[in-house]
Amino acid sequence: MLPLPEFTLHSPRTIDEALGLLAKPGAMIIAGGTDLLPNMKQGLHQPEHVVSLQHLAELRAIRVEQKVLVLGAMTSLAEVAEHEDVRKYATALAEAAGTVGGPHHRRMGTLGGNLCLDTRCRYYNQSQFWRSALGFCLKKDGEVCHVVEGGKKCVAAASNDTAAAAIALEAVLVIRGAQGVRRVAAGEFFVADGARNIAIARDELLVALEVPRVAKRVSAYEKLRRRGAIDFPLLSVAVRLDGSAVEVVVSALAAKPRRINGAQKLAATQVEAIAEAAARECNPMPNIDGDVAWRKQMVRVMVKRALVRAIGAAQPST
Amino acid sequence: MTLIPITLTINGDLTQVAVHASQTLLEVLRYELRLIGTKQGCDKGDCGACTVLLDGEPVLGCLTLALSCAGRSVTTVESIPRADPLLESFDCHGAGQCGFCTPGMLMTAKGLLAKEKKPSRDSIRAAISGNLCRCTGYGPIVEAIAAVGEGTVQPATEEKLPPPLPSYGAPRK
Amino acid sequence: MSDRLIGKAGKRGDLIKRARGDTPFTDDLALPRMLHGKTLRCPHPHARIVSIDTSKALEIPGVIAVLTGRDLPERFGIIPWTPDEHALAIETARFVGDGVAAVAALDERTAVRGCDAIKVLYEVLPSAVDLDSAITRPEIGLSAKKDDNVSKAVDLAFGDVDGELAGSDVVLDGDYFFEGTAHVPIEPHCTLAQYDASGLLTVWSTTQVPHYLHRELSRVLRLSPTRIRVIQPPLGGAFGGKSEPFGHEFTAAKLAMVTGRPVKFLISREEEFYLHRGRHPMRLHFRLGAKSDGTLTAIDARNQIDGGAYSSFGLVTTYYSGQLLSLPTAARSYRFSSTRYFTNKPACGPKRGHGSVQPRFAFEVMLDRMAEKLKLDPIALRRKNAVGGNTHTINGMRVTSNGNLECLAKVEEASGWKERRGKLGFGRGLGVASSAYISGTNYPIYPNEMAQSSVQLKVDRSGVVTVFNGASEIGQGTDMLMATIVADELGLPLEAIRVVSADSDLCPVDLGAYSSRGTFMNGNACLTAARLVKEKLIAAVAAKLEVPETSVFVTRGALCVRGREGDAVPVEEAIQLAEAKFGALGAVGSYKTPPNLGGEYRGGTIGASPAYSFTAHVAEVKVDVETGVVEVVKVWCAHDCGKALLPTQVIGQIDGSVYMGVAEALFEEHLISPNGLHRGPNLLDYRIPTSLDVPQIHSMFVESLDPEGPHGAKEAGEGPLHSSIPAVANAIYDAVGVRLHALPFSPGRVLEALRQRKA
Repeated sequence: MLPLPEFTLHSPRTIDEALGLLAKPGAMIIAGGTDLLPNMKQGLHQPEHVVSLQHLAELRAIRVEQKVLVLGAMTSLAEVAEHEDVRKYATALAEAAGTVGGPHHRRMGTLGGNLCLDTRCRYYNQSQFWRSALGFCLKKDGEVCHVVEGGKKCVAAASNDTAAAAIALEAVLVIRGAQGVRRVAAGEFFVADGARNIAIARDELLVALEVPRVAKRVSAYEKLRRRGAIDFPLLSVAVRLDGSAVEVVVSALAAKPRRINGAQKLAATQVEAIAEAAARECNPMPNIDGDVAWRKQMVRVMVKRALVRAIGAAQPST
Repeated sequence: MTLIPITLTINGDLTQVAVHASQTLLEVLRYELRLIGTKQGCDKGDCGACTVLLDGEPVLGCLTLALSCAGRSVTTVESIPRADPLLESFDCHGAGQCGFCTPGMLMTAKGLLAKEKKPSRDSIRAAISGNLCRCTGYGPIVEAIAAVGEGTVQPATEEKLPPPLPSYGAPRK
Repeated sequence: MSDRLIGKAGKRGDLIKRARGDTPFTDDLALPRMLHGKTLRCPHPHARIVSIDTSKALEIPGVIAVLTGRDLPERFGIIPWTPDEHALAIETARFVGDGVAAVAALDERTAVRGCDAIKVLYEVLPSAVDLDSAITRPEIGLSAKKDDNVSKAVDLAFGDVDGELAGSDVVLDGDYFFEGTAHVPIEPHCTLAQYDASGLLTVWSTTQVPHYLHRELSRVLRLSPTRIRVIQPPLGGAFGGKSEPFGHEFTAAKLAMVTGRPVKFLISREEEFYLHRGRHPMRLHFRLGAKSDGTLTAIDARNQIDGGAYSSFGLVTTYYSGQLLSLPTAARSYRFSSTRYFTNKPACGPKRGHGSVQPRFAFEVMLDRMAEKLKLDPIALRRKNAVGGNTHTINGMRVTSNGNLECLAKVEEASGWKERRGKLGFGRGLGVASSAYISGTNYPIYPNEMAQSSVQLKVDRSGVVTVFNGASEIGQGTDMLMATIVADELGLPLEAIRVVSADSDLCPVDLGAYSSRGTFMNGNACLTAARLVKEKLIAAVAAKLEVPETSVFVTRGALCVRGREGDAVPVEEAIQLAEAKFGALGAVGSYKTPPNLGGEYRGGTIGASPAYSFTAHVAEVKVDVETGVVEVVKVWCAHDCGKALLPTQVIGQIDGSVYMGVAEALFEEHLISPNGLHRGPNLLDYRIPTSLDVPQIHSMFVESLDPEGPHGAKEAGEGPLHSSIPAVANAIYDAVGVRLHALPFSPGRVLEALRQRKA
């Protein structure tokens, strides 16, 4: 067995109670546990207090409102993937949720958990023994980056499938803190720091994701991985089409998912040009396992495939 | 470390057990309750060997805190009766060799069959894609589960044992 | 017997008991007062241990005992000529993950804390973490004499290779690289040891060689074998990864002796990758000559083998890298020169198809190239150069039954080869390959004249027969096979047969589950024993009915007399008659290979086997030329197993071998970084296929009825892996016209090959 470090588990019944507990020093949130627990078993976190969101039923619903789709942070990834309204109004998000890990991870894991997933790196997601043999790294216990020689900023990769989709869909994260509720656009939520790539304080709680409902909007998600299940993305691509306007987001590069600037000036039908822009703007790093040169080549292919599917979905079925 | 008593239902039995916050459901099942049918293959959520049903849903025992199971219902492979068609089907199809991934595979199949009475082969392949098997190449497992849905499992073909010889049991007439 | 169970598709047998927890695996066992052990491992690829301070660990409440290498000074190793391992490193540690100290504590958490508290001072030494540095930097001195890094070198030549090459119409050269791979059984290693008040040491361990473990425990612990009992519980897969003694088996035993309490070591998934003994990385240079009519003239192979930190089976591996190239397709001459080097990496060893899978890949791809060059169908080229039955190979191996041609014919037909190959359009293709493998090795690992496998039967007057069987049930089905053989011989129902296996106190010796010896050797031993019992039953019934023994025969449930159908005697009654006539009923059966199976030269015993299995594969692939992703759509595999005694199990072995081969072809690589660290010692980074990543497998068997096999049977567990890999490689060529020279065929490599083809 890989023993978990010792901690105290709290299971608050209300959000306020949860916020109070999160204010304790060294507290961490557990939602589905599929990210936190393996990381704890590898000695990556040693929280004194673990706050379980399991009993916060109010975080578990999917609601269709007039202008937005509201997905509670504790909604399971499986439900996000299968929910009819999500598939309809936020296709890329449903597709992304449906490719996370394996079926067990999707049943246990939550949307909020995936959005807040710890960044990943092949020098970081290893056991205490392995990391000690390496001499540790910038992200945890060390001072050296093994990905970028002389690097001073951690470049661990955003490895959450849902991040790119949330950004592409202009989703908004609803965050509760001691001061009340704040809303952050998904595009602002992720920051370029592998040590912690999410703009949320440790005593705040992500409660929901709001996805705008826009008429005739279509979206798609493509994931590069070696196996049909279990794997984290080697590339994560989400595209959104509003008529001819297009947004392309590529992730699993470094800490921050990347919006492809070049795409914004192009029409959705200029598939090759958009894919070319993405390939120009994205430079995968040797931070996650996989052939870097191949991943670089695949940016173009994955973007193209996502676009072609989205364009296909935008056509009235003939 | 503080021991915290919890009550949960395991295979239909109301069970009380005292656990540490840092114990997983897998640890408690295997090493506290001696329900050794559930296996440990990686202990970090990469292989599916520890799959059990939590409130009817297949989950990974190694990534479930035991404390979070308080008041809930856990079903392990020990709950499956000997004459269950799924077991019979696994046996007949050669859907396991070493048998180590089999408990997890069976529980995933149970979860699937509870939702879909007659799952397609594609649906089965997707459902078991988090359960790694190193012996079979998966084909026989897919067929074994499909056969249960299709109702084509041959009924148990136990060989008929001969009656005891008079010389061994009752005195000879 | 007419209504035999042998040959009929049946159940797995013990699967359900295993699956429901009725049959405990090693980690399922627990004993009162049991302690938990952990190993402290070296974080450097090569280091001298300057000092070890265990005092802080011993101060931790709950830590009961600590061991270091000096507590177990005896060297061990599976091959008696190359014992180079210590249970815990004493002077130098040779790879990241090498054990240096061990702790026994009240629970696993405390044992981990104990390990963390041990202070080891290391002096880091120069290291060789790849083949090149092992070859070019002899001063690192990893060999026994410390003057180079060579583990074993073999040079063997048969026929006039240079002359044949000179006289060839076509000569092809090829360089290939086979990345190492790991076994990854889902069950991790685990050992439980108990030292009882009488001074008996009992060790339960996940081993596929309990007999060798018994011997090595005795040597390393300096304890009489009479005071050691080894029990191998059922294994949750092994594939060769549990076929030699491991450090934790000795430390568990020693800690049990030191503490007087049972001690269990459960190896973590990460540690699995450090224990390793997986397939060797090999760099292979092949030269193949042929006449324009397709006659193969010469094979010239030069292989560099990356052995890792220890010898393991390396001496044998080095021979296997060339010895089996004389079957099933042979050239008129051949030679190979193989050198195994030590490197500062987890030790390599035997994985399903020990040492012969790598050269098979190179050779079968060379054959495909030669066929193209000669404008011959690749199957026709193999037919033309096929070695027949009842002959000797060019390197002196005796061949009896040979179903090679039938295997080729089966896959040719089933795959629609003639109609479909080369005609599936760009991106889709078919490839063929074939191979041969041993059914057990001719000689035991330590030289002796005793039986290689023995079985003892105990017959109870109730009608229950217990088979005491030294063989190791590792999921392949030997227990079920023994039960079926006995049930058939004695006319008993399967339920009346109990099999007790792999317990050194209860069972006669079998050498273990390696080199595909189970069915052939263990099956023969069991059949012999069962026939001895049958003779007694027949004699007793004949005497009772006053008929000649020759007229009595066994049928299911009863012994009958030819021509007197009414006179059937139930088997149970026959057993009682026999017990009355002869006393307690039982029998022993043994198997030992016949003499002189191999060539008369040094190394001629390796590759020599009482029988060879044969396999042919056709693979169908789809190549995505945009992503480079290869999908193996379907594999047809025909395997000559002599006789399929348990067809469900045989098909399972073929399926599993094909699966594992395709996994190695597409996904798996056991990579060590230049700093000596494993690239990803876990099941996320070491990717074994999920249910969504496997081909449709169409397994078929061919029954050549071996004259010496039990009921004609030969092996099925390892042979069908070999040619699956080159079949995929050759199919990729048919699909998109590129030759891949290095494994695995990852999308990046495929794209690069496609780019070069365009250029």
